[in-house]
Amino acid sequence: MAESGTVPSPPLPAKTKTKRVKKAHRPNPRIAQMKRTFYFLRRNTLAMVGIGILLIFIGIAIYALFQPIPWTQLTQQCASNNGPYPPTGGCLCTYTPGSQDPGPNCYQTPLGSPSIIAPTFNFAHGTLGPLPLGSLTVAPTTPIFFDTYTGLLRGSDWSLGISVAIVGTGALIGLLVGAISGFFGGWVDETLMRIVDIFLSIPQILFVIIVIAVLVQIPFFQPFTLRITLLIIGFVIVWWPFYARIVRSQVLVVREQKYVEAARASGAGGGRLVIRHIIPNSVYPIFVQMSLDVGTIPLLLGTLVYLGFPLFATIYFPEWGSMAALSVFGQTLSNSFLTCQFGTCVIPWWQFLFPGLALFLYAISVNFLADGLRDALDPRLRR
Amino acid sequence: MRMWIYIVRRLILIIPIVIGVMTITFALVSALPIQDRLISSFGPPPKNSPGGYAATVPCSVLHINKTGDCPNPLYVRDTHKLGLDQPIFVQWGVYIGNSLTFNWGYVDNNSGAARSFPGNIQGLSVATTLGEFLPYTLELAIFSLVIILVVSIPLGNLGAVYRNRPIDQASRVISFSGYALPGFLLGSLLLFSFVLALGPTFNWTDPTCNKESWYLFWYGSWPQQTCYPGGQWPSWLTAGQISSPTGFPTVDALYHGQGWLALDSIIRMTLPALVIAYGTIAGLLRFVRNSMLEVMNLDFVRTARAKGVPENVVISRHAGRNSLNVTITVLGLTFAFFIGGFPVVEYIFNLWGVGRMFVYALLSPYDFGLIFGSTLLFTYLVVFANIIVDVLYAYLDPRVRLG
Repeated sequence: MAESGTVPSPPLPAKTKTKRVKKAHRPNPRIAQMKRTFYFLRRNTLAMVGIGILLIFIGIAIYALFQPIPWTQLTQQCASNNGPYPPTGGCLCTYTPGSQDPGPNCYQTPLGSPSIIAPTFNFAHGTLGPLPLGSLTVAPTTPIFFDTYTGLLRGSDWSLGISVAIVGTGALIGLLVGAISGFFGGWVDETLMRIVDIFLSIPQILFVIIVIAVLVQIPFFQPFTLRITLLIIGFVIVWWPFYARIVRSQVLVVREQKYVEAARASGAGGGRLVIRHIIPNSVYPIFVQMSLDVGTIPLLLGTLVYLGFPLFATIYFPEWGSMAALSVFGQTLSNSFLTCQFGTCVIPWWQFLFPGLALFLYAISVNFLADGLRDALDPRLRR
Repeated sequence: MRMWIYIVRRLILIIPIVIGVMTITFALVSALPIQDRLISSFGPPPKNSPGGYAATVPCSVLHINKTGDCPNPLYVRDTHKLGLDQPIFVQWGVYIGNSLTFNWGYVDNNSGAARSFPGNIQGLSVATTLGEFLPYTLELAIFSLVIILVVSIPLGNLGAVYRNRPIDQASRVISFSGYALPGFLLGSLLLFSFVLALGPTFNWTDPTCNKESWYLFWYGSWPQQTCYPGGQWPSWLTAGQISSPTGFPTVDALYHGQGWLALDSIIRMTLPALVIAYGTIAGLLRFVRNSMLEVMNLDFVRTARAKGVPENVVISRHAGRNSLNVTITVLGLTFAFFIGGFPVVEYIFNLWGVGRMFVYALLSPYDFGLIFGSTLLFTYLVVFANIIVDVLYAYLDPRVRLG
């Protein structure tokens, strides 16, 4: 092909009368496997339900990307209080109790605590549906609000985006490490797998927390976008070993296959074997783990925030896990918990119900998908 | 190979892992700004020192350099005390040595975690402090492990036997919802509902207090002080939180002959243990079911059926026991996640264990000794749990230790 420009191609053989038998169409075996997997997946009702919910969430996330945030009446307060981050719309509403209601997303509170406000349908806002469902407070002492509906909407971007970024990067690193480890074997394998063992023996959530707690002290990571990067880095450092281990176990099987032998016999080098033959054929099992982790990471983000980790508490960061965590956190620690015990006040169920529901549906949908994938990919479990 | 040789070999194999974990924590500690480490070790700088812990202070001795900065004597002295002026390899060696000998530093006088604890732990060594909190965490762990095994093994076996029937689907949905509900949300909601809603409705009384004290569940690992005779903690309950002599709450209460208090501490542990267990069951249940499915198609099960063994015996003896191997392996693999649930749950339910100490150390600005100490401790727990799992596995499957 390369020399066809310079060297004249040899003349085609004269057409003979005998009709060439048309080759039967043989699809690419990988595509065939994908089709087969999807066939088994389609017969799994729960997996289909999971895919449906996931598609709805992706649709919401895409929709939310193009939605402006209704912060019209609060711009001044945003400018004065929000520090360097009014990113694409975010606000602090501070007001002294007793003064006039500053805007549609801020409410006066009966007990001096902004967390205890009954959900209302704001007709004055001119919007149908549950907008705004009361305000979400960070903690009763800190006057940071955002609207639950808006937060959920924007949070779909953050939650899905961050989890996909973490899982994608982690899986990529794990894929490379696992493929190298499994393919080359010997001392390379031993060393890499001991490192994986070390990483896996530290409890993951604690590991993430201490990594982030240390890195956040470094002044370089102060800006908002870099803090998100820091979050992703912290999770990736902890998460790649899972994928490395899974990929390695699969590579150990794949490298003994006939087609790898054939490729080696026809002169393929180590790098080509790994990239063209080993990795594409051992990539399927990590899809299960990936889909599980995509659901887990928003929950862990929430756990991070719940443990009082001061990463995003002072800026507008509507991520589902953080929203749920902060709402519950405020309830647990505030005196409202003790004053509520005699039924004098409203438990602000909407604050943790909606973010919690979003988290739950998202995580359970990817779990259904992962389970279906596991069944579809494992021939022993199919039947 | 004998069993004890296998165990010794496994124990030797964990040394590189422990050193590797310490290397990771060493790298993290080294990444901290030096001034923060100095504050963490020696407290805030004294008022009379001009530059605090800054490396250089402005000075009038102009011959030192042109900008008029000279080294801060406080900084020089304290970095020397911590050994930070040594080469990094020496620091690494010292760190590993200290970690292995449980020399994890001391709880600072102005440590936020120490101030949150009602008793006095300031000035104690980190290892001693964590050792006092460890038994509570261990008892909670054992309790929730029992719940996990009792729920997931029968449910997984049922799911395999009644494959794709309603009971299988139900167990699937239940286990997945455990996976999808974050522990902090589930724990808080359970606490809200039990204390706020169900408490007044059913008018619970705490067995140790004879009065209406349902909301004392919120109070933590032991009843409130007013519930004890004379309104005083018993002398074996340090600060009302740490019990002696063993530290295991149930054991200690029984040791002192107070059965009601033992029952009370178990009741207090039930909700947290359920929350922890619910998150772990999801990871286990599917593997139990799948391994059971595999085993049930093996030849010896067919033979057993063919020779007329009753079906329930086939399932419980022939298939169930052989699927236990996978259960135990997966339990070892998920143990790190399982342990990771403890800080949150202990924090929600006010239980004074290692996890709660970790959270309080995290919330206060300069408690690095406690943070890294409790991380190391949890890592030790995971590593030793994995050894126990390996030994159990070798006991159940002789091929492992013979091969």
